Amino acid sequence: MQQLSTRHLLGIKDITAEDIQLIFETADNFKEVLNRPIKKVPSLRDITIANIFFENSTRTKLSFELAEKRLSADVVNFSSSNSSVKKGETLVDTVNNILSMKVDMVVMRHSSVGAPHYLSRKIQANIVNAGDGTHEHPTQALLDAFSIREKLGDVAGKKVAIIGDILHSRVALSNIFALQKLGAEVMVCGPITLIPKYITSLGVRVEHDVRKALAWCDVANILRIQLERQQIKYFPSLREYSLYYGINKKLLSQLDKEIVIMHPGPINRGVELNSDVADGPHSIILNQVENGVAIRMAVLYLLASVK
Amino acid sequence: MKIRLRDLRLIDKPNDFFDLLIEDGYIRYKGPSSKFPKLNCDRTYDLKGNFVSAGWVDMRALCGEPGYEHKETIASLTETAKKGGFTHVCVMPNTKPVINQKSDLQYFIKKSQDTGVILHPLAAATIDTKGEDLSEMLDLHAHGAIAFSDGLHPVHNADRLLKILQYLSKFDGLLINHSHDPLLNLFGMMHEGEISTRLGLKGMPSLAEEVAIMRDLELLRYAGGKMHFTCISTARSVSLIKEAKKEGLNVTCDVAAYHLLLTDHDLMSFDTNYKVNPPLRTESDVKALIKGLKDGVIDAIVSNHQPVNVEGKDLEFDLADFGMINLQTVFSQLVALEKQVSLELLLKKISEEPRKILGLPIVNLLEGEMADLTIFDPTAIWRYDQNSNTSVSENSPFLGQELKGKVTGTVLGTKININ
Repeated sequence: MQQLSTRHLLGIKDITAEDIQLIFETADNFKEVLNRPIKKVPSLRDITIANIFFENSTRTKLSFELAEKRLSADVVNFSSSNSSVKKGETLVDTVNNILSMKVDMVVMRHSSVGAPHYLSRKIQANIVNAGDGTHEHPTQALLDAFSIREKLGDVAGKKVAIIGDILHSRVALSNIFALQKLGAEVMVCGPITLIPKYITSLGVRVEHDVRKALAWCDVANILRIQLERQQIKYFPSLREYSLYYGINKKLLSQLDKEIVIMHPGPINRGVELNSDVADGPHSIILNQVENGVAIRMAVLYLLASVK
Repeated sequence: MKIRLRDLRLIDKPNDFFDLLIEDGYIRYKGPSSKFPKLNCDRTYDLKGNFVSAGWVDMRALCGEPGYEHKETIASLTETAKKGGFTHVCVMPNTKPVINQKSDLQYFIKKSQDTGVILHPLAAATIDTKGEDLSEMLDLHAHGAIAFSDGLHPVHNADRLLKILQYLSKFDGLLINHSHDPLLNLFGMMHEGEISTRLGLKGMPSLAEEVAIMRDLELLRYAGGKMHFTCISTARSVSLIKEAKKEGLNVTCDVAAYHLLLTDHDLMSFDTNYKVNPPLRTESDVKALIKGLKDGVIDAIVSNHQPVNVEGKDLEFDLADFGMINLQTVFSQLVALEKQVSLELLLKKISEEPRKILGLPIVNLLEGEMADLTIFDPTAIWRYDQNSNTSVSENSPFLGQELKGKVTGTVLGTKININ
């Protein structure tokens, strides 16, 4: 059986294109399982997984938990959004406490960049990064690329524009790494203050005019404006943002082609994305959510089988 | 007390071996073994061709005591300095209490007496290094403040900086400023560039340092006086100071030894021991700093020794404190640079040049001088680990490594410290 090159999923940066393909092929199988009347397989029976969320999450946590249960794993949950502000012993001690209960895998979301990397040096369990600060959110990038592959047949050669707050977005960074590894072209678009100054060193295009970005791309991945992650004022107002960067039906109707619209959720309806687009025919937002479960099943299953 | 040091040589005359006789803290004889005075020495050290130079001077180290003894004490700092070959260490004022008054100065001076290292406390330029009210600089100067500095913090308020420079100029006092714009660095974790972009870490742009140096140079031009920029880290900072020197402004600068070797690439694994301020920059900055050393733009090299206890370092990256302990490893870092810069020049940057900047006596290793010297072996390999580290803290990325270039000992007056 093929194996992943790593025993943790810390970031897309750390895995290979072959790893991604293997995850996709495995996810194809699990997606088929999810459409059966009995959606549960015994693959991870006797494996205990702890979902540790130091930052709020609804859908990622739900998606992981569902994936774990569909694989027959035993699941424990720990959530605490205020622990993250206290000093680090909280992280190690909390996780050590949970591990002394003989947990095999840890799915962790944390507000600190590199927190899962830090943890991987401290504990034996397999670690899945469910989002670390403004760094990476690897399973989101995998499910996004998987959804593009499903919709358009392949990721290689496709043009993907990531639109919004690139500076604070772990989704953007993981998406850039994943899409590039799979051979897609990537553009980032947003107000200049929300684009990292050195982003072109990652080999992406930069555009500040949303119309031009839409005209260029095959797929537009619209990011949530992360007001909660901005420690400093980066742009004047949400009103101005939605006027100049919000995606609506009118903008899309001016294009001479059909593009695919994605959003990692949760959507600020009327800010970065209007309802007429979010719920419209171009949108694959709900497919992303559905694929999320299959992708996470694949990741957990493959990591558990790494020797 | 008569001490004989056998078989030493100077870095610029490697074929010329000599002995030293040190009597009651003074050099009484320097010359060939064959002509050594016929007398009984209390102790003889056979140094087997080790090199000797004027005692080394570190212009920038942080001590924990008083206030943060769990990071470093005066005893551990002086021990670590000796192990690193330093006989003089300038201590930043960022203790608790801050070095604000003459009694604070006395604490350091008294407690380091007879340790074999002279600690030079830097007096805070503003009360509690808050950048607001001026400290009593005249009084502090009169009671032994060798220079003034807010240490870890820049004097950010332009008006205060102007007044400090003016005030100090009246007695030729020196301001040591770690210039950077705190707002441009706000929440920054590492150098802003490709690596920070890849890691999703908030950057500290080179601009933050350069904008502050530009402004500070203009204030210096207006106020007169003299200023020393400490821990410059970018290529542009080197060229700004080069221009200022050319123009005749009374300005000097230093660089942290590790900034000559390490880059932001070292942060890829999120090792918090590489989290320092100013941050590790890029390869091209390192090249420019090395060139600046050779050209004489950069006058001195410092340890920028900043002890952090394990609870402050072994953390998620953004929560960890800035800083690296370095007093014990400076020499090995200089040896690692030997292919690019001659060791002779590098050693000047930790002995003669800082002595000039601080107004300390120049040591020529002549008969009649007080003994103030460092003995070292640039080819010896040693292991830097928990056993050999003498700092209370362990925040060094070099810990656990074999390092080339070892300090054999120091002599300061009657204090002989030879391993």
